Amino acid sequence: MNIKKFISKPLAVLAPFVAASVLATNPVMADETCMSPYMVKIVGQEDFVYVWTLGVEGLGDGQDKMVTVDVNPKSEHYGKVINSESVGGRNEAHHSGFTDDRKYLWAGGLDSNKIFIFDVHTDPAKATLVKTIDDFVSKSGGVVGPHTTYALPGRMIITGLSNNQDHGGRTALVEYTNSGEYISTYWMPTDDNLQGAHKGGQFADGYGYDIRALPSKNVMLTSSFTGWSNYMMDFGAMLGDAEAMKRFGNTMVIWDLHTRKPKQVLDVPGAPLEIRCAWKPGNDYCFSTTALTSQIVLLEEENDVWKATNVADIGVPANIPLPVDISIQSDDALLWVNTFLDGKTRAFDITDPHNPKQVYEKQIGNQVNMVSSSWDGKRLYYTTSLLGNWDKKAQDNDQFIKLYHWDGKEMTEQFAIDFHAEKLGRAHQMRFGAYSLYGKQAKVEQAKSPIVAMSK
Amino acid sequence: MRYSGVKISLLLSLCFYSSYGLSKDNDVREQEKPRDFYNSEHFTIQAPEAEDSSSASGNAYIIDGVRIGAGDDKAGYETTGYQTNSVAISARQGTKADLIRVIENPPLGLPKIPVPVNNPLTVEKIDLGRKLFFDRRLSLNDTFSCAMCHIPEQGFTSHELEKAVGFEGRSNRRNAPTIYNTAYLERLFHDARETTLENQIWGPLLARNEMAMTSMGQVIQKVKDMPDYAGLFEAAFDGKGPNIVTMGKALASYQRVLVSGNSAFDRWYFGKEANAISEKAIRGFNVFKGKGQCVSCHSVGQKTALFTDNMMHNTGLGFKRSMGKEPDKERMLIAPGTYAYVLKSKKALVGHPPIPDVGFYEVTQDPDDRWKYRTPSLRNVALTAPYMHDGSMLNLGDVIAFYNEGGMLKNESNFPNVTQSPLIQPLGLTEGEIDDLMTFMKTLNGDNIAEVISDAFATPVGDTTNEH
Repeated sequence: MNIKKFISKPLAVLAPFVAASVLATNPVMADETCMSPYMVKIVGQEDFVYVWTLGVEGLGDGQDKMVTVDVNPKSEHYGKVINSESVGGRNEAHHSGFTDDRKYLWAGGLDSNKIFIFDVHTDPAKATLVKTIDDFVSKSGGVVGPHTTYALPGRMIITGLSNNQDHGGRTALVEYTNSGEYISTYWMPTDDNLQGAHKGGQFADGYGYDIRALPSKNVMLTSSFTGWSNYMMDFGAMLGDAEAMKRFGNTMVIWDLHTRKPKQVLDVPGAPLEIRCAWKPGNDYCFSTTALTSQIVLLEEENDVWKATNVADIGVPANIPLPVDISIQSDDALLWVNTFLDGKTRAFDITDPHNPKQVYEKQIGNQVNMVSSSWDGKRLYYTTSLLGNWDKKAQDNDQFIKLYHWDGKEMTEQFAIDFHAEKLGRAHQMRFGAYSLYGKQAKVEQAKSPIVAMSK
Repeated sequence: MRYSGVKISLLLSLCFYSSYGLSKDNDVREQEKPRDFYNSEHFTIQAPEAEDSSSASGNAYIIDGVRIGAGDDKAGYETTGYQTNSVAISARQGTKADLIRVIENPPLGLPKIPVPVNNPLTVEKIDLGRKLFFDRRLSLNDTFSCAMCHIPEQGFTSHELEKAVGFEGRSNRRNAPTIYNTAYLERLFHDARETTLENQIWGPLLARNEMAMTSMGQVIQKVKDMPDYAGLFEAAFDGKGPNIVTMGKALASYQRVLVSGNSAFDRWYFGKEANAISEKAIRGFNVFKGKGQCVSCHSVGQKTALFTDNMMHNTGLGFKRSMGKEPDKERMLIAPGTYAYVLKSKKALVGHPPIPDVGFYEVTQDPDDRWKYRTPSLRNVALTAPYMHDGSMLNLGDVIAFYNEGGMLKNESNFPNVTQSPLIQPLGLTEGEIDDLMTFMKTLNGDNIAEVISDAFATPVGDTTNEH
C-alpha cells in the first residue's frame, strides 16, 4: 500500500515518526480495516480493544462505559477486561472513532447526543475520559444522534442520525476540530434544497448514518438509517408500527471531500448502513449493505458519475437476516458481513466486486453486530449489541466480545468475555489500541515477528 | 385504506420466518433463484388509490408559505413509485403570532374559551408556556420536550409513529393526541384521567416512559437553574418564580390558546357561506349526521361544534387489543413498495410484549368502563393521523371502514365485549357515501393552522448549551 496515497501532508510529516516508533518498539502486524485513510496506523499485533459499551439498568453501575480488553496473547491479562471507564448515564453508546493522530477516541451517544473523548495515548491500557461535548445539538443547529466519528486531517466529522425538531431521520454532518471545537454543519440534501447535488433517482430523504472518504477520488460517501424515534424504540414494537417502518433511509450521498458539498444523491432502498472502501490503489470503489433488504451494494464511479448497484443477496433476504456491521479485508479479497437476527458472520469473496460470492459462514451467537478485523485478516473480533432497545430479549440477549482466528478456511474461537457476567452491559463497537503507536514499549514479552513498516 | 390490489407476487411472504419454518405460500426454490431484489415481479406491491390522500405519512402542502405535514413526507411509500418530498430542517422558520386574540374573538364554530378564574390568560404566560413546551431540557436527559411528540406541523401529534416513544426509547401504549382545541376538553388524556390543563402537565413530565423527570421538585429546580428563564416566571406571575402552580399555569396557557376553528365547514354551516364547501362535502355532512351516525358522539351544536361529546366509549378496538388473538404474522414495509412479513414468534424475540391497556377502567376501577376511551374532536382531523387511541388506523379511510363494519366484531374473542357501545353498529355505507364523508371531514381544518405552526417554528428549541 502506498502510504502517500492516503496520508495528507500534515500527517505525512508524522509518518516517519510513527514508523520509527513502530520499529523502535513492538513491531506489530494488525489494524482495523475500516479506519479513515488519514489515520495513523499501527501494524502488527494490537494490544487492546476498546469496547464502547451500553449501560444496562440494573446491571452493575448501569452506565455506559469504555471497556479496555487486553488482547495481546503474550500478556498475562490476555482475554481479560483490564479497565472500565464509566461516563455517567445511558447515552445509547454506539460508535467511536479515533482522531487522525490516534491519540483520542471519540465515542458518541445516540440518545443523549453527548460525545465522550477518551485519551488513549497517555496510557493505552487505560482509555480515560478527558472531555465531554454536551452541546452537540445546540452547536450543530439541531443535529441529533452523533453516530460515526470519522477522522479527516486535523478534523473529526460526525454523522448525525436525527434532528431535534421531529426526531425523524433528516440530519446532517457536523465537523469539529480534533480539540473538540465546533466548525460547521452540512445538512443532508433534501428535495427543497439539494444544495447543487444531482438527484439521480426518486429519493432525497435527507437521512444519514455512516461516512467514508476516498481521497483519491476527492469524495466522501454517506449512507442512511433512521431517526431517533425508530432507533430508540423497542424493535418489536417498531416492526408492528406501520408508520415507523416508512421512516428508513433509502439513499446514499456522494460529497465533494474538499468542499463538503453534496454532489449526488443515489437511490439505495432498504437502509444502507456501513460503508467500507477498498484499499488497493486503483480499487476506487466501496461497499455498503442494506439492513432491511439484505443486499450488498457496490458504489463505484463510471464516466465521472457514481452509481449504486445491488451485487449480491445476504443470506435469504426474505428472512430479513438484518445485515449490520461489515469489514473489508485489507487485500480487498473478502468482505465480512454480520447478520444480527440469525447471529451469523458471512465471508464474501469480492475479488470480483460486481459478483460477490459467499464462501464461508459461521454462527457467532444468538445475535451479533460488530466485527473488527486485524490488518492481516487473521484476527476477527465480534460483539453483540445493536441498539439498546433492538437487542434480543431474555436468554437470546447474548452480550460478549469474542476473538476468532481466521486461517483463510476456518475460524477458531480464542476467547470470549461475557459482558453480562462481568456486569458491564451491552458490548458494541470495538477500536484497537497499541503501545507502539505512541513510541511506548508493550509490557509484554517482545514479539518475534518480522519488522514491517507501517501500513497506510 | 383501500388498495387497488395489484398483487404481483408473494415471494416475500416468508420474511422473518426461520429457515426451518416455511409457510405454505412460500416456495423455497423461488427464494433460491438468482434475482434482482428490487425487481417488482418478486414482490407484493399494492398501490393505494389515488384519492386516498389521508395517510398519516402525508401529502404535505403549503399554506401561506408554511408547510403543513411532516417535513419528511411519506405519502405513497406503499408503492414503488414513491418519490421523496422532503424539506430541510432549516426551512422550519416562522413568525410569532398574536395567539391571545382568540380569547376575545373565538373562531367561528367554537365557543368562548373556558379560562380558569385563577389563571387568566396573559401574553407573558403564553410566551413562557410556549418556551417550556419546546424545551427539551425538561426531561431527565435533556432530550425530550412536549413538542417531540406533539409536533406542530404534524397536527401537534406525530405522523411518524402509531404509538409514542418516550425517554430512552421506552414504549408508550397510546398515540400522542393532538393539542388543538384541548381548551374545550372536560377530560384529558385518552383515558380521561386528568381534569385540567394546569394539572395535566405533570403526567408526561414525570412519566417514566415519557419525559422521566423524577419529581416535581427536580423539574422546578432544573428550570430555576436555567439562566434563560431568569425573571420570566416572575414577570408572568406577579413576582412568583417557578413552582408547581406556575409551571402548570404557564404550560396550560399556551395550550389553551391553540384553538382552531373557522373551518370551511364552519363558514358554510355557521357562517352561511353557501359555497364554502363543495356539494360532495355537503353530502358527506348529511351522511355524518344521518346514516353514518357519527354525530352521536362527535357533537355539532346549534351555534358551535366541538365534534366531541367529551364522553367515554368502548368501540371494540381496545377490547380487541386486549382480548383478541394476535395474527401469526404481520405485513410490513421494508422499502418503498416492498413488503415482507414478520412472524409473531420472531417479533417476540426482539420486542417486549404490548403494554396492557384497559382504558377508562384504569381510572374508575369500574368493570363497566373497560376499554372505554374519550371521544376525540374531529376538528383538524385530516391533520392528526394516525387515528384511534392506539394510532392503529393510518388514515380516515381505515377509520370509516372500521365504523362502517360496526367496530370490532364481537366474536373475535371467546366471550363478548359486554361494554361495547350500542352506538357501534354496522352502517351499510356505500363507497360513494364513504367518499363523501371523507370529503366532509377534510373541511374541518381550522383557518389558523399555518399561523399557529409558524408561531411554533419561531420558538427556539431548548437544548443544552455551554454559552452561559
